[in-house]
Amino acid sequence: MRILFLFCALFCAADCFAAVGCDLNDPDRDINRLFPGSSGYKTVYLSVKTPEMLARIEKRLGDKFHGLYENIGVPYTLYEIYRDKEKIGYVHGVNQKGDYGGIQVFLALDPAGTVKAFYIQKLTSRTAKELRSKEFAAQFEGLSLKNFRDYDPLSGKAAPVKNPASQPGGDFLHVLRAVKKNLILMDEFVFSK
Amino acid sequence: MNIYSVASKNLLRRKSRTALTAGGIALSTWALATLLGFSRGYENALNRDIDNMGFQVLLTAKGCPYEAATLMLKGGTGLRYMKEDIVRSVASNPEVEETTPMLMQGVFDPDKGENGAVAAYLGVDALSFPRMKRYLEFKQGGWFRDNTAREAVLGYEAAELEQREAGDKLLIPGIGAEMTVSGVLKRSGTQDDGTIFLPIGTVRELFSRQGQLTALGIKVRKGADIDALENRLYDLPDVQVVSLAQVKTTIMGLVSGAKAVVLALALIAVIIAMSGVANTVLMSVMERFGEIGIIKSMGALPSDIFKLVLAETAAVCALGGVSGLLLAALTARLSETAARHFLPYAPGGALIIIDGRTAAAALAVILAGGLASGLYPAWRAARVRPVEAMRGEQ
Repeated sequence: MRILFLFCALFCAADCFAAVGCDLNDPDRDINRLFPGSSGYKTVYLSVKTPEMLARIEKRLGDKFHGLYENIGVPYTLYEIYRDKEKIGYVHGVNQKGDYGGIQVFLALDPAGTVKAFYIQKLTSRTAKELRSKEFAAQFEGLSLKNFRDYDPLSGKAAPVKNPASQPGGDFLHVLRAVKKNLILMDEFVFSK
Repeated sequence: MNIYSVASKNLLRRKSRTALTAGGIALSTWALATLLGFSRGYENALNRDIDNMGFQVLLTAKGCPYEAATLMLKGGTGLRYMKEDIVRSVASNPEVEETTPMLMQGVFDPDKGENGAVAAYLGVDALSFPRMKRYLEFKQGGWFRDNTAREAVLGYEAAELEQREAGDKLLIPGIGAEMTVSGVLKRSGTQDDGTIFLPIGTVRELFSRQGQLTALGIKVRKGADIDALENRLYDLPDVQVVSLAQVKTTIMGLVSGAKAVVLALALIAVIIAMSGVANTVLMSVMERFGEIGIIKSMGALPSDIFKLVLAETAAVCALGGVSGLLLAALTARLSETAARHFLPYAPGGALIIIDGRTAAAALAVILAGGLASGLYPAWRAARVRPVEAMRGEQ
């Protein structure tokens, strides 16, 4: 069995490189900033294991996973945050296709799944300044998955936060889709276990 | 009954001993074949990587970081420029087959990470660059239409990071210029994977760099004297010459040290295996002195006994050798993974090539060594005197 696994690992290696995850650029610094008072973190790698799980996530999201880079093979990096030995929360990020480039949206969540901090690590957009502003990030604090349950990422209806940019839609909608996807994945990976 | 069937019967009488001896030979054949395969594979892969670069010599302005990674380390600063006229001057050399101009530009993107980061763009010529980099294949789309198109081609990893597909828009931060992604490259295992290519004319226009270059790739004619060309290029003012032939020599120098150590270990393994063969065959001969005496008394010549023992030796070596080759072929990928882990630099593609040539060379060494090990036991067997052997005096 072990030999079989080794062979599978060797011959499937090429496919493993087919998808990219979303990691913090500098976890030590970023986690200190997102979780002041934390004393350490543990990195866990997760994935959408089955087509059934993917279908459930897509149904909850209200949109299909699409494009070259949003697929079942994407690995997700979860940072479990500790204060001494106590787990005080999580940091998790997702990639999202934007109008002009990739968007990386990270959420810092407490153990109940409530957003403590929102951080866009990468964004190439004409509305980047507004979407990366502190005021926009502050709108997410205290929200959880239940606030996004009715949000429709296709039409943009029932958005739980206000668009900070003067022009409608665009990357604002992409960011909200990323946040909803992030919260659903966290629920599937952690909170509903 | 001929000597070969007698030899095979003798080997089958002591199955465990034969299997253990053949196993030792198989292991040394595996080590030898893997090493010979690595020796060929590594050099082939390195040559392929260098050929894949499309050019053998790179010319840059003195002190200019000519790779995107270096540029980013320097925070997008430090770029130096050459005059475009240098293209004509270089192309006039008889050794030069073709040149391709490149213009790199770094842009500070405040929306990357907490404090911003540099995004690098490489302006390339729409005609000569794809011709030189023939190994680049597209996952989607293709190269830009011309040198002034507002289009971009993304390396595999750059496209993943930017989540771009052919037809998508790409915004250049800072200047707000919009490009259309004309193509996404397949993974190549080179630095091109992380590169965003723009038409060189577009980069010049967007960043006001008319008549300037950061690098010039030079493809040398086959069989031309690269050293002579490099010496002339060194005389050009304010340029630095990066010779890929030198890079290859340096890498091969680093790897040849490791190869020598591993070859020595493989040879030690072969010597140990051959000692095992000599010991096994000699034991077998000594156990059968009486039997050999009877065969001789029935009319067998010393040369027949000599051939019989050598046939046994050859059979064990062939069995072990072929098993070792099969093992080497089966584990080539695993050995390659281990080699990549330990080597300071490993080129892309197959590092270990177990083909007919490698297999024949390894088998020849093993058979020659094995037969040499069987000479003494065969000679002892041939010298057995029938009467003394039957009396059990020897």
